[in-house]
Amino acid sequence: MWDNCTGDVRLNGKSTSASAGMQRSFLKAPWRSPLSGLQARKLREALLAYFFLLPAFLIVGLFGIFPLFFAAFMSTHRGLNRIPGTFDGLGNYLQAVGDFSYLLGFWGSLLLLAVAVRLLWHGARSAREQRSRYWPWALPGVALGLFAATLIGWVFRLLPLLLEIPSQMRGARNTPETFRQLLGEALGQPQASLLLWLAAALLALLPASLWWIERTRDCRRPTRSFLTPFAAATLLAVLAASIGWLVWAELQKATAAALTQGEQFDIQAQLLLISVGFLLLASSWWVWTSASHRTAMASVLARLGGATLLMLGAWLLIAEAPRVLAQGDLQWWRALQTTFYYSLGTIPPQLLVALVLAVLLFQEIRGRSLFRVIYFLPYIAPFVGTAAVFKILFSNRPTAPANNLLAAVGLSPLNWINEPAGLFTLTLPGLPLPEWLAGPSLALAVIMLYGVWTFFGFNTVVFLAGLSNIPRELYEAAAIDGAGRWPQFRHITLPLLSPTLYFLTLYSVIGTFKAFNHIYVLRTGAALGTTDTASVVIFQAFQRDTRYGYASALAILLLLAILLLTVVNNRIAAQRVHYG
Amino acid sequence: MADRSASPFARPHRQPPSQTLRLAGTYALLTLGAVVAILPFLYTISVSLMNLTEANGGAWLPRTPQWNNYLDAWNQGHFSNYFWNSVRIAAITVAGELLFCTLAAYAFARMEFWGKNLLFSLLLATLMLPEAITWVPNFITVSWLGRVGPVPWINNWPALTVPFMASAFSIFLLRQFFLQVPNDLWDSAQIDGASHLRYLLQIVVPLSKAALMTLVLFGFIGSWNALAWPILVTTTPEWRPITYGFFAFADEAGAQFHLQMAGSVLTMAPVVLLYFFTQQTFIEGIATSGLKG
Repeated sequence: MWDNCTGDVRLNGKSTSASAGMQRSFLKAPWRSPLSGLQARKLREALLAYFFLLPAFLIVGLFGIFPLFFAAFMSTHRGLNRIPGTFDGLGNYLQAVGDFSYLLGFWGSLLLLAVAVRLLWHGARSAREQRSRYWPWALPGVALGLFAATLIGWVFRLLPLLLEIPSQMRGARNTPETFRQLLGEALGQPQASLLLWLAAALLALLPASLWWIERTRDCRRPTRSFLTPFAAATLLAVLAASIGWLVWAELQKATAAALTQGEQFDIQAQLLLISVGFLLLASSWWVWTSASHRTAMASVLARLGGATLLMLGAWLLIAEAPRVLAQGDLQWWRALQTTFYYSLGTIPPQLLVALVLAVLLFQEIRGRSLFRVIYFLPYIAPFVGTAAVFKILFSNRPTAPANNLLAAVGLSPLNWINEPAGLFTLTLPGLPLPEWLAGPSLALAVIMLYGVWTFFGFNTVVFLAGLSNIPRELYEAAAIDGAGRWPQFRHITLPLLSPTLYFLTLYSVIGTFKAFNHIYVLRTGAALGTTDTASVVIFQAFQRDTRYGYASALAILLLLAILLLTVVNNRIAAQRVHYG
Repeated sequence: MADRSASPFARPHRQPPSQTLRLAGTYALLTLGAVVAILPFLYTISVSLMNLTEANGGAWLPRTPQWNNYLDAWNQGHFSNYFWNSVRIAAITVAGELLFCTLAAYAFARMEFWGKNLLFSLLLATLMLPEAITWVPNFITVSWLGRVGPVPWINNWPALTVPFMASAFSIFLLRQFFLQVPNDLWDSAQIDGASHLRYLLQIVVPLSKAALMTLVLFGFIGSWNALAWPILVTTTPEWRPITYGFFAFADEAGAQFHLQMAGSVLTMAPVVLLYFFTQQTFIEGIATSGLKG
């Protein structure tokens, strides 16, 4: 919008120097009135577009974006049953993951700061490359970022006041007038309105500073907008500061509590040890990968160094981790482990099966569309229905179909969906394995099987779409060169399918970490919670125990896990995926 | 040879030794996949027609089909009530979705406005959020709205439908289709003096029937399959959908597997039938909705 130096297109709608306008008058209508011409038409189109977007964004905003902030708010409160309760800092997180939450908060805020600096750095570099002005954008950018932060702060300030309105409206007072009056009182609360005024002032700063940029700019140099990096960096910095403050306040509180009880307070030492452990692990990874660029001797030395660092880091973690784990919610840790098992046990098999079927199906095959329709059926059928069948197929009765099959080959029946014992414990009966080494329970394995059965058809269809994008000529050229089927698959199909594979992996990882419905339907009391994934535990904390604040904190932790996995997946994909 | 040009794997010039064997292997594997996919469904139908002894005795096929089971399950599980609820919920959700998502998708595909990229990436970012994070906040929001507003939301249609009337996925899907409508059409419509709204209603929507059909299908199936949210926001059978109804019935029917499976068939039938009639649109929709990485 601002890269037009003659100034016909301008935020405040003012036309500048007449000569510049005249030069272009054969392209654009000359300035007439604010309600006609190009400027006005653009404005009208934008207004119409906002009008089109309004209903969808009201819904997505209220039920899709706002919940993130609301959950963050709830997670710092001692919330029970719809009432936010008093502010509790990191209390819920401490209950869930113990001292690990300090670590998460500290490194999280450092990471946010690092991302903010990186954003600014990238912006500065691209500005330098394009010989564009950069620093003048700092003022409007920071103003915009602070505006967004103030707005979020205002929402947080207002939330508890708004949530109290229904309880004040009981009985005879339940009228629209009372609601309007209470809403007015909440909005007029001094702190909230102060924040709102602050936000308005920051917003007013925006057009003023943009106008100033416009005025002082040099027409011979290209100008690009660098509003976004500054705004995003400001918002991230504010977020980092508030997380840092939360962690700091909580540490102070814990120290004071330990002092009054006269206990030894070793949390700093513990945190330091774990942090150093993670840093050692990260640096060992770095040393190990950098080894591949060197000569043989240096490479061997680097790998040795990497291995030493790895062992040191792992030793520190193994020494400290169990104590931290023991402080947290054992059920939650187990749920994370179960989720991880579920992910690991469903994604590779379902992708492999789907890839094989897709490649086989992508030939001149009779009844190709029939196969496709059948494969897709499990994905489409309502899961409550199919899960009920699986519950019967794999029930613990001796006459269950799965046990019938076992009996047919002369094996004794199993408990299947009701079996809490781990797979490794079952296959190695003599070995006394510790609990964390027992592996996924047999009940979870049945649920994994259900997951694979449900999703392989979906993956096959997406793989087929990916296969149809590969140009035929490549195969013909390879055949002329004498490449057989396997080399063709290995060197043409697989690399050109890697974007699809990447997409499906990411989609499945996020999907398995979100998975709730079928796991909830397939869980049995007899499995003793060994099939409860993260989502199920969150659901129970919310629905059964009505611990709203705690459930919100767990959900935020789950979101962090998903974000982490996405980043890791992207990192791996950046090296391996071939966008041909 | 006809199949040579169609096969993605062009054959090398030397003739492979056992072409028929390979083809047989291919069909065997594909059929195995199909059997695994369809067997649980066949077993469901089979058990749903058994009597109690056969169902509990682990038989594979009923001796004489007991068609009465469907009637019994229908009556015992109050399926007529739950069916009607699910149909109502799906209809309201899909109607709202069609209206709101079409408008939003058109704005993203064809209109210019400030903040377009920001809003679009904000929208796509919501796809990352796990459902679990929205439960608590949305439950509080919904009960708040019901208590201060004129209509109660909990145990009523608004809580079950309104939050799903616009989703990032649907808007994205429609936008992809709307982008494929040629630009020339808009230019000529503009010359004829058509507004955006008129162009959308008279040109874009008729051209995107397939896309809208896909949206209807996804919306219907998504709504029919929902479980977690209905458990949270319904406490009476008045608006409880079929998924929750069947979930409760399966618990209640317990060891009466034949009735449980008859209920399962009844629950799945509408979606599966709809899928069979529209499978072409459906699978194309999955494959073309930008799910190509």
